Amino acid sequence: MTPAWILDIFAAVMLVVAAVSAARLVAARPWQRGAVVTDTDVSHLLMGIAMAGMLASGLTTLPNDAWAAVFAVLTAWFGYRVVRDYQASGTRALAVGHCAPHLVHSAAMVYMFLAITAPAAGGGAGMGGMGGMSGMSTLHVPTLAFVFALVLIGYTVWDLDQLSSLRYGLAMAGAGGGLAVDSPAGPGGTGHEGATGGGRPGLRPVLDSPGTIVGCRIAMGVTMALMLVLMI
Amino acid sequence: MTDVAVAGGRTAWRGRLGAAPVTARPPLDARRALQLALAAIWLLDGVLQYQAFMFTSGFSQMLAGTADGNPAVIAKPITWDANLIGHHTVALNVIFATIQLLLGLGIAFRPTARIALAASVLWALGVWWFGEGLGGVLSGAASPLNGAPGAVILYALLAVLLWPADREVPAPFTAARAVGAHVARALWAVLWLSLAYFALTPDNRAPAGVSGMIAGMEGGEPVWLQDLQKGAASLIGNDGLAASVALAVALVLIAAGVYLPARTARTARTARATLVLAIVVAALIWVFAQALGGILTAGGTDVNSGPLLALLALAYWPLQTAAAAPVPVPAASGQPVASEEEA
Repeated sequence: MTPAWILDIFAAVMLVVAAVSAARLVAARPWQRGAVVTDTDVSHLLMGIAMAGMLASGLTTLPNDAWAAVFAVLTAWFGYRVVRDYQASGTRALAVGHCAPHLVHSAAMVYMFLAITAPAAGGGAGMGGMGGMSGMSTLHVPTLAFVFALVLIGYTVWDLDQLSSLRYGLAMAGAGGGLAVDSPAGPGGTGHEGATGGGRPGLRPVLDSPGTIVGCRIAMGVTMALMLVLMI
Repeated sequence: MTDVAVAGGRTAWRGRLGAAPVTARPPLDARRALQLALAAIWLLDGVLQYQAFMFTSGFSQMLAGTADGNPAVIAKPITWDANLIGHHTVALNVIFATIQLLLGLGIAFRPTARIALAASVLWALGVWWFGEGLGGVLSGAASPLNGAPGAVILYALLAVLLWPADREVPAPFTAARAVGAHVARALWAVLWLSLAYFALTPDNRAPAGVSGMIAGMEGGEPVWLQDLQKGAASLIGNDGLAASVALAVALVLIAAGVYLPARTARTARTARATLVLAIVVAALIWVFAQALGGILTAGGTDVNSGPLLALLALAYWPLQTAAAAPVPVPAASGQPVASEEEA
């Protein structure tokens, strides 16, 4: 079986992603007027926790059905967003839009929580300690798991290519400091200080940098593909 | 990206980059697209290497099995390596899996693409010997249906052909950019002619050779794939000789296709048709004979040779322009990617 300590490492990475997303949400100060909170941060936060719970043997989170419902809502939301992107950008929205990868992530989470067979050990309230990662649980319709894994890997390599290419470089130049990907101010970057209130200037640029944001998505994509393959 | 705005006591969702038409796009030419496909396959291999089976003694036994039939000078290092892995399965397999993950991520990340491609060549050569027994080329077990000349050597070949440099300008096809058209065509011909040869070896052209090989891949596969394989095995039955000859003829045609001159529209169309034939043959082999690399059995270590052969065929697809600038696949900006890769 896949050693538990390896799965724990991936779980730790997911918790880091969740923590970064939580920090971005807090830094946006949603309790203030005019604050802007990204839906992808909410998505990453929830996915990070859910996936860590699936991977780590000692971590119990929500029941499977609850997670399935949560990610079904996210899937519907990002599906709506992809349709809007499609109306604005055409089929390019699937490649260069930000919502299509999150739609796939959310749908894959729904699939994992609905298609998992009964975990052999440590199921508890959630999927914590599930044997799926270590060879005891599997997914119904494994072909679909493979397809999801392929798409996730495709988006991962695409994200890496885009991260290291002109796309974000141009956006950063427009933002005047690397805050363009989904900073509250958008490409202009002028609303950044207003959104954060000028607090912790050293931390916010790091949280808002393309490397952090896209890096979280890449980590999530690789880990999710790994989980799907392990449960085939 | 979508944001939720909390303003004036009410919450509203609004779009950011995701909803707006995207205008700033990086250049993506055919070579970069193929590099990304190669990166994706490496990444998938890395993920597959973390499967539970790879942490069992079955993995080292599988490696040891590739020594069978090989000359002693090839077989002994394989056996030694398999024993080593058998004693340190977890640690070494984690290293193997992580290396492959890093190769995939490294190729996809432009600043590290060169070093990752170079590393992938070295790694692939090592795996070809120690993990695949040179693909059975020297043991007589090689067949285009089971992945000859070893799937992993195709990774190395692709890395060389997709190397981010321009030796020949203008290049007739992507694979010629780094090594030149003559060398690229020669490599293509050697590969596909060798596959044709392997298709006609005594074991592979035996009456039940092809159908037996297909039927042997059914174990553990999903029902739909088993049904496809049963149908194919039943269709071929004991006509292994005819199937092998037909396959060999197709492989020879594919090998010759890149030598067709592109001076007239007709020959250019014929050349493209042979590449389409290569992709179709690769797809058929991958689905029916290789069972998608055994990935759906939770025991596959890689995707096997089918997708690599198809990727290779795409690397030989004629470029539409005579300029050095690459041809858009699927939608390029027209800027040569090499300039950015060099950056």
